[in-house]
Amino acid sequence: MSAFLSYLISGLAIGCTFALVASGFVAIHRVTRVVNFAQGTFPVVAGLTVSSMLGRGLPHGVAELIGIVLAGVIGLVVGVIAIGKRGTPTLASLVITLGLGILAYAFEIIVWGDQPVSYSMLRGAVDIGGARVAWQYFLVIGATLVTFAALGLFFTRTYLGKALSACASNPYAARLAGINPIRMGLLAFALGGLLGGLAGVLITPLQPVAFDSDVLLATSGFAAAIFGGLNSPYAALVGGLLLGVLEAFVAGYINASYQTEVAMVLIIVVMIYQASRRSTVSEEVS
Amino acid sequence: MLEVTDLVVRYGNATALDGVSLQVGEGEMVALVGPNGAGKSTLVNTLSGILRPVSGSIEVDGRLAQVPEGRQLFPDLSVADNLRLGAWRSRRRAGARDPRRIYEILPDLERMAKQPAGTLSGGQQQMVAVGRALMADPDILAVDELSLGLAPLVVADLVRHLRELNASRGTAVLLIEQNARLAFDLCERAYVLESGTITMSGSSAELSRSDAVARAYLGGLTDSEAS
Amino acid sequence: MTAEVGTVRTVRRRPDAQRAVGLGLGALVAVLTLLAPLVLDRSQLTVYILTGTAAMVTIGVSLLMGYAGQVSLGQAAYYAVGGYTAGLLAVHGTPPLLGLLAAPLVAGGLAGLVGIPILRLRGHYLAFATLAFQLILLAIVGQVDFLGGDIGLQGIPQLSLLGIQLMTAQAYAWVTWVGVAVVLLITRNIIASRPGRGLRALATSETAAESSGVPVTRYKIVVFALSAAFAGLAGGIYAFFIGYLAPGSFPVLLSFQFIVMAVVGGLGTLWGPVVGAVVITLIVQTLNDLGTRPGMPSYASGVFSYAVYAILLVVVLLFLPRGLLPAMADLVRRAFGRGRRAPAAAGTAVTVDDSTTRQPPDSP
Repeated sequence: MSAFLSYLISGLAIGCTFALVASGFVAIHRVTRVVNFAQGTFPVVAGLTVSSMLGRGLPHGVAELIGIVLAGVIGLVVGVIAIGKRGTPTLASLVITLGLGILAYAFEIIVWGDQPVSYSMLRGAVDIGGARVAWQYFLVIGATLVTFAALGLFFTRTYLGKALSACASNPYAARLAGINPIRMGLLAFALGGLLGGLAGVLITPLQPVAFDSDVLLATSGFAAAIFGGLNSPYAALVGGLLLGVLEAFVAGYINASYQTEVAMVLIIVVMIYQASRRSTVSEEVS
Repeated sequence: MLEVTDLVVRYGNATALDGVSLQVGEGEMVALVGPNGAGKSTLVNTLSGILRPVSGSIEVDGRLAQVPEGRQLFPDLSVADNLRLGAWRSRRRAGARDPRRIYEILPDLERMAKQPAGTLSGGQQQMVAVGRALMADPDILAVDELSLGLAPLVVADLVRHLRELNASRGTAVLLIEQNARLAFDLCERAYVLESGTITMSGSSAELSRSDAVARAYLGGLTDSEAS
Repeated sequence: MTAEVGTVRTVRRRPDAQRAVGLGLGALVAVLTLLAPLVLDRSQLTVYILTGTAAMVTIGVSLLMGYAGQVSLGQAAYYAVGGYTAGLLAVHGTPPLLGLLAAPLVAGGLAGLVGIPILRLRGHYLAFATLAFQLILLAIVGQVDFLGGDIGLQGIPQLSLLGIQLMTAQAYAWVTWVGVAVVLLITRNIIASRPGRGLRALATSETAAESSGVPVTRYKIVVFALSAAFAGLAGGIYAFFIGYLAPGSFPVLLSFQFIVMAVVGGLGTLWGPVVGAVVITLIVQTLNDLGTRPGMPSYASGVFSYAVYAILLVVVLLFLPRGLLPAMADLVRRAFGRGRRAPAAAGTAVTVDDSTTRQPPDSP
């Protein structure tokens, strides 16, 4: 029972970070139709940055903020290169983001080297039903829930958020109303960077991060995002939590080395199931 | 108010508009009729700046807003949000984003304010599209295919709203229509656009008496014969 | 909008003179590359062989992306399958040549099976699924004992042909040459065939292709299997040449590298992937030499190669979306055409045959 609880809570926490990465995918895809394969770069850069900021003696809070903002700026830069040039086909933008993810490797290795880093944020643990659960897990879950609530308010209550939703809903009409789709796309990329950055800041104390951690972070985030067809941040939250808990149970009860396989197989099955319910025509039009 | 001079628009090598000139005066209601593929939508898209002309000029004295063909609402957003986004260009002006001023003109919209626009009927959606365009406080309204796919009663209601708007606020209207009878009925003046050029223009009364127009757009009978 | 990077073009009905020039050029390249191993030293031969195997995989990637409009981000998986098939058979005493022949068959067969469910996905979903497949495969290989697990499969014997053991790098270079030639010939015949034209229609719009009678699903699976078979053959040669395989030899980055080579060379062209493989390998190799010079930081060569892949990929996609080969061909043609630009349809080596693709999708 105590093992079950600790797997569940750690799974939920890891799932939360997947969901944050996923919501970045969703924010960018909704507005630009581009799947940002550099999405895994944002958490990596943020985690590495916070680690070296803390190493230089910066206090908690400031270091994390710098990491998240830097990830947001990098998101913006990725956006400028991937969609800034008018008339770049969507799939070309996708491959460009892939290239930028590789380019980030070069910078990351120069600045931080190729070894994984970690740091601690909240120390200590609490006893729940006989299980010792680190406070960090609760911090991750709490921060994620607050972020998703804020995201919801942003998209439905603010004028800028509504304009972003409008671009997602009908890009042509958005242009008619004078909303610049490229500028909104760049905003979405910056938002995707911030969300990815937050994920990295939160996950690095739980799982050390190195320059090439991006592949697993991005694939897990993408997996969470496709639960809602890449269009719904809330479905991405559910997807992330499910995936995180599933991986934690597989690792805990079966074998830690199977967790990737199980997650990936599940994703492929979900995607094929979704595809079988969609017609070719509607996809080509969208 | 609106002065279009020698407008040429191309898609690659295909010329969609070839030297189109037209004027809409202050507070005037003018129709542009023509068959499918004549270049009507190209003209509206050029007026709203989505397409760039190869040559020619467009002068607008004041603000122009467009009611696009097929409504083009934001289906997942509520009616009120659809309206609010119509004010994007003037978003920094005080009160510009408040949809309540539209409810005074189109009271039906207030009732549906919270509904997602995609769940409304065609006529209701067209009304939202008109309302959204009005949020920009336009001096001239370009309405693309007002009647397309709508029942006659619904169209009559929309036409009444346009007339009121024109009478009470002096908003000029450029009505781009395939339904020539409706267009001539609503507007004093009209242009006929065919394969990218203006082939006829004049008062609606004159045009509806012309044999060529009657054959092409009014089912073979001139208005005088029909009535 | 679904799956289009650049435009799908191909070589068709060129004027006779150009055809002759093309054939002459091809023959010249063939002879030069056939003779090259005689003068190259051991480390240059290694580069030669790795370029050749990369070219074989990339030709498949280019066929898949440029002609069938499908993106595979996991092509290194089939490279690995080929390698492990050949290696495992040889380790267990199967004649090496048989192992080498089995490599493309097993890789292609596996791709055919995997393709049945996976190819129902499109665009970025397919890209992601192929990537996920590679991650799954690597994880499995790392846990299976008879494949050597994470430590790897060791002691793969040398390749032997007709009873003669191939001991020199030179011999492997020629085997690679033959492999590339076979892959090029098969690809050329497919492109020129009737199904080849159907494929091009497929890349433009699946709906349109389907409505004009192209058996879309079957074609996609066949091309996917074929591209995997090319990768498998390359993996087989690699396994015998290196003599050792581990999951770490086939990282996700390797799959990305094949995409970079295909895009940089020019999608939907026969020679583009070869040009891409050669250009990228040579640049990366040069920078590698530079990066390992004394005084350079230890990470320099890795950093250089990441930067080169990335910058070339991005710059080509943004500024030469058709790729290097078509861009170079245009330059040459302009230089020899006395500055006169040949009309797009008649003179260029790359013209679109749109008899099947121009049909509007909504026509009855």
